[in-house]
Amino acid sequence: MSEQSGTPAAPPASFGGADRSGSAMLVDQSGLGSRQARKGGVVSTVGPIFRAANGWVSRYFASLLVIMIVLAIALTGVQHGASLMGEQIKNALVLGAIYALVAIGYTMVYGIIELINFAHGDVFTASGFYAVFIASVLHLDSLATGSFGGLLLALAIVFPLSMLAAGITGVVIEFVAYRRLRDAPRLAPLITAIGVSFLIEGILLVFEGPDNVTTHQASWINGQAFAIGGVSIGYTDLFVVGMALLLMFALGTFVRRTRLGKAMRSTAQDRTAALLCGININRTISATFFIGSALAAAAAIIYSINYGVLKWNIGFHLGIIAFTAAVLGGIGNIVGAGVGGFLIGMIYVFGGSIFGGEWSESLIFAVLVLILTFRPVGLFGVEVTTRA
Amino acid sequence: MVKPTKGLLSIGTIAALGVLAACGTSSPGTSSSSGASGIAGCRGTITVATDLPLTGGDRTDGPFPQLAAQLAVTQANAHHLLGGCTLKYISKDDSSVLKNGHDPATGATNIAALATDATVMGVIGPFNSSVALAEIPKVSQAHLALISPSNTSPCLTVVVAVCSDPTIKIDTASLYPGPHTYFRVIATDLQQSEILAHIAAKVLNLTTAYVLDDQEAYGRGLSLLFAKFFTADGGKVVGTASLPGSTTTFTTQVSLAKSEGAKLIFFGGTTGNGCGLVRRDMGSAGLTIPLLGGDGCEDTKFISDANSGANTSEAEGSYATSAPDASKLPSSAAFFSQYASAYSSMAAPYNDGTKEPYTAYGYDAMNVLLQAIRSVLVSNGGQPPADSQTFRDKVVAALRATQYDGALGHTSFDPNGDTLNTGFTLYKVTSGAFAAVNTYAVDASGNVTVKS
Repeated sequence: MSEQSGTPAAPPASFGGADRSGSAMLVDQSGLGSRQARKGGVVSTVGPIFRAANGWVSRYFASLLVIMIVLAIALTGVQHGASLMGEQIKNALVLGAIYALVAIGYTMVYGIIELINFAHGDVFTASGFYAVFIASVLHLDSLATGSFGGLLLALAIVFPLSMLAAGITGVVIEFVAYRRLRDAPRLAPLITAIGVSFLIEGILLVFEGPDNVTTHQASWINGQAFAIGGVSIGYTDLFVVGMALLLMFALGTFVRRTRLGKAMRSTAQDRTAALLCGININRTISATFFIGSALAAAAAIIYSINYGVLKWNIGFHLGIIAFTAAVLGGIGNIVGAGVGGFLIGMIYVFGGSIFGGEWSESLIFAVLVLILTFRPVGLFGVEVTTRA
Repeated sequence: MVKPTKGLLSIGTIAALGVLAACGTSSPGTSSSSGASGIAGCRGTITVATDLPLTGGDRTDGPFPQLAAQLAVTQANAHHLLGGCTLKYISKDDSSVLKNGHDPATGATNIAALATDATVMGVIGPFNSSVALAEIPKVSQAHLALISPSNTSPCLTVVVAVCSDPTIKIDTASLYPGPHTYFRVIATDLQQSEILAHIAAKVLNLTTAYVLDDQEAYGRGLSLLFAKFFTADGGKVVGTASLPGSTTTFTTQVSLAKSEGAKLIFFGGTTGNGCGLVRRDMGSAGLTIPLLGGDGCEDTKFISDANSGANTSEAEGSYATSAPDASKLPSSAAFFSQYASAYSSMAAPYNDGTKEPYTAYGYDAMNVLLQAIRSVLVSNGGQPPADSQTFRDKVVAALRATQYDGALGHTSFDPNGDTLNTGFTLYKVTSGAFAAVNTYAVDASGNVTVKS
């Protein structure tokens, strides 16, 4: 889906599988290749090489990225031994699971109304505090640490309630701040989104204070589950990754199998046509915000159980990294956001492990720039069938 | 004090301070206004100010030295320290909402506003070295005295090897476009890191360290100096990482430290930038080696952050050094009881000056400034110099000659404006709180000794 104009017959190197000539044009028209051609080949010797390299990089971007990550993992293993490599893989998966869940919220909203919902990261933070509130009101801390059954019960209470509260928050934000701007120029809702983001942060700052807030949820799950080759895997690690995968699978099934999921997909494809088919657009968009925010709440609880602290502004920073994950996977693509989250976790951890922690975030944002330059459709392209 | 023409002034200053020191030990209420100085007829307004972070993430730090400095002003007014002159006090907050705490830009703006006020003769502040970098050039140009209760970056006053590090890049000389008007009543990170390295290598006998910092001038400087002195003391640095203050997870670095066989993790930085979170992640990774930090880690937030993980007593056994616990000094007893009675109506924890390590430093800094102002008035025939710039220059000159006995003990300044009253206390988390272990002092040649 990214082949340059010179080789139209080349097979698409799409990661996701679905190829559509329409989306191929996206890259081609904005790519360097066609611009060079229009200029009439002024840099006739360098031009073709550069053009070929550009085309090659954009076509094999996914493979290059994966190869580099694998090399980084291997390098860590060679330099520091297998046990560090294993531990860093575990760290990356834990981090990636949280990024993935947050990234899905960005990608769903973008898919359906083409808005980068900057407030999403702050919904994450707010829902973390909802969970703390719910846990303290219902005395879930003592329940969860008491016995295994108590833990399950506590999780079965805190997850749905927090997700419900976060979902309502998301729906309210959409209703108040975005709905009226749906047909306004693209920049207007973006600015509103940033405004909502700062508003939520301000409210959290007033209510929760400027410092780290200890949530006590890290003590819910602890202990070592098993060890592989000197790498100890805690129950928390299994819980974080397992829960994230479970939620993503549930969402995928929902979008693919249910009527509402179908409505979402059709609204994402063509809002007017969906309206003509009798789909309630407002309700569908509200549902999208509800689900995206509910997943952010799940991510926040998982974060809280893993790290034990929340802070009024963690969501903004985490949100931008998760947004990068969404772009990496192809914004609008749910599976892409999930995979992107894990890849960003890998880049964060192994980049930091090899080049030093100070480079972790620089590397992530370098990937953001590279992907927008070479492969703006993301690793998975715009696979319309799962776009919602 | 090199110009012979000013020799007379300095003699006068010391003489005046001698009188004041005597006042300090007796009841100051009656003696200072009736002193032989003749400043009772002093006319005019003299303003002193504080510039400290009072809101946002620093609201647990800045208000204590601010309230202490304010108390010094209130006492000076009650005792007519400046005779008939009106002593005014301005409090500035160098926090911003954007930074959720101390902000160099806000600090510079505050100083610019204070500098244009011709009655302002000195400022107590700032709290953070990064803010000092923005403020020192402004006070230098304005010839205005700035006395910090807590800035510990050595590069603010002296050139040491780490100042040219790309992440610090402090050109000490360029901080002073005008005269050197910056002072501090606290020892610097140069001394602190020498003591930290000594503690790590010689007291705890840990020979390999993984060194982290928070990319800020304070934390990065402390880490680099620690690494240097630690190596000189026979230790080995097995890895370093420099992470932004927004970092919320340190699992990557903790895993690396574990794999490199580090016996100690050193964190140069503040609790707000992750000191406690490093300890939390050490707990989740099952890494049972000590964590050592500087004064940026020695607070209650460190303990709650460290204990927030799966292990709710992870903070236990962590070490941090800090300036000596001023509340334990015999010289500070009077101050802390005065603080408690003056602010008894304030909400906790601000009603108790011992809740924060820099309270007494704010008090002494303001008193040092007020004594310098008074000595200028005395030597100027009881009146403020007509020209405010001359007045400010004379205040700075008087500060250089400071010999003050206050809550912290005896304070005097070296030619760089750094206090000669040094010493750091090692704290260890025991039963959920930092408990003092020993106080160490370092002499000019780098020998660390236990201070009685």
